[in-house]
Amino acid sequence: MEHYLILARSVTYAQRMQKVLSRAGVRCQIFRAPRDLTNLGCAYAVRIATSDLTAALTALHAASLDPVQIFLYQRGLYQEVHP
Amino acid sequence: MIYLDSAATTFQKPAGVAAAMWDALATMSSPGRGGHSAAMRAADTAFQCRTELAELFHLDNPEQVVFTLNATHALNIAIKSLVPPGGKAVVSGYEHNAVTRPLEALDAGMAVAVGPLFRPDAAAEAFDRLIQPGTDAVICSHVSNVFGFIQPLEEIAALCRARGVPLIVDASQSAGVLPLDMTALGAAFAAMPGHKGLYGPQGTGVLLCGDGIQPRPLLEGGTGSLSIQQQMPDFLPDRLEAGTHNMPGIAGLLAGVRYVRQRGTEKILDRERHLTQQAAEGLSQIPKLRVYAEPKMQNQTGVLSLTAENWDAEELGAALARRNIAVRAGIHCSPLAHRSGGTLETGTVRVSVSDFNTPEEISRLVFAVRQILAQK
Repeated sequence: MEHYLILARSVTYAQRMQKVLSRAGVRCQIFRAPRDLTNLGCAYAVRIATSDLTAALTALHAASLDPVQIFLYQRGLYQEVHP
Repeated sequence: MIYLDSAATTFQKPAGVAAAMWDALATMSSPGRGGHSAAMRAADTAFQCRTELAELFHLDNPEQVVFTLNATHALNIAIKSLVPPGGKAVVSGYEHNAVTRPLEALDAGMAVAVGPLFRPDAAAEAFDRLIQPGTDAVICSHVSNVFGFIQPLEEIAALCRARGVPLIVDASQSAGVLPLDMTALGAAFAAMPGHKGLYGPQGTGVLLCGDGIQPRPLLEGGTGSLSIQQQMPDFLPDRLEAGTHNMPGIAGLLAGVRYVRQRGTEKILDRERHLTQQAAEGLSQIPKLRVYAEPKMQNQTGVLSLTAENWDAEELGAALARRNIAVRAGIHCSPLAHRSGGTLETGTVRVSVSDFNTPEEISRLVFAVRQILAQK
């Protein structure tokens, strides 16, 4: 199923993102980021529905929690996006 | 046992602390070290603990709360982040070795801002004289661990802000008892144990980091983030938390912090002051005993020192221990505080209460001291 993964700096930042998104009414879950998505090593990400991207980014930006990277999952593949 | 050594560690804990630690052992692994349920449960607990501490001490974000082994560990990070080798620090006259020994190890110049006991105005004036351009940091214990003397922290913080000097607060004796507003103070760091007024278990400590601070790690190692990179992350809390977390400790600390928040620091302070005042009034009636107390307790918390004529402090402490009353005798790892208070030669017997002590226990202490001194 299509979704976005919003990469966070650490598990603590992913948890802050989850809290901010929940308050903004955006459903999300925390995941370990797939290893091949980032050259930074271990990372956590929050997963959101494709329809929620704009609301999610607005809420995160307002909380000074801009994502490290954003990936779109489509047809079995992740692709970095720059909305 | 009548436990009156809470300035070292609170011994009686809220009921939820042990249960939370047991739950952590049974259900949690390591935060930030996996996506499975045991790791995420640990991460949730650590995050909740950071969040509640940030709320209690008025920090904007939970990542500004760093877990340490104890207050000494936290103070070492803070001091070594701000004071370079051979640097200059201004400290209060009531600092613990957790402050003075790291400064000595750095071969730093240490100007001591000291005034008479229970005279915050004199302490503020001394800081005003000593904080100069070029001072690397001001380090101040919020409350003396020997005398319970409350330092004029707001005034000292205002001086630091006006002169652009970073402030490190040692909140070892005040966290959970006195209000501490990191944002209003504009402090660079505040260090505190988890196992005293926050009622967590031993082996827990906290370093609160002010806005815009880039601290230096004491330890390097795994953080569960940026694993390819060979430098420590530049963001908190990961920058200062190398290695596996003490999850039973953090879970217990969370339960302790919840107790403090639910009960309220004002009520805790009020109870501790009443008990200390009761002790001071009772002990003051005993001949040849000197009690270091402020009559109205306005500038003192639940810590009280005493000395007895012709008695070694350790001897009196041991006599009380034989009667199953736990106090702390000696220098309390704070020779500077004893020098400032005029008790370096003798040391003192320190009586320190928590929210779990009772007036009956204080009455028994007074009775026991009277009996012991009468027998010699």
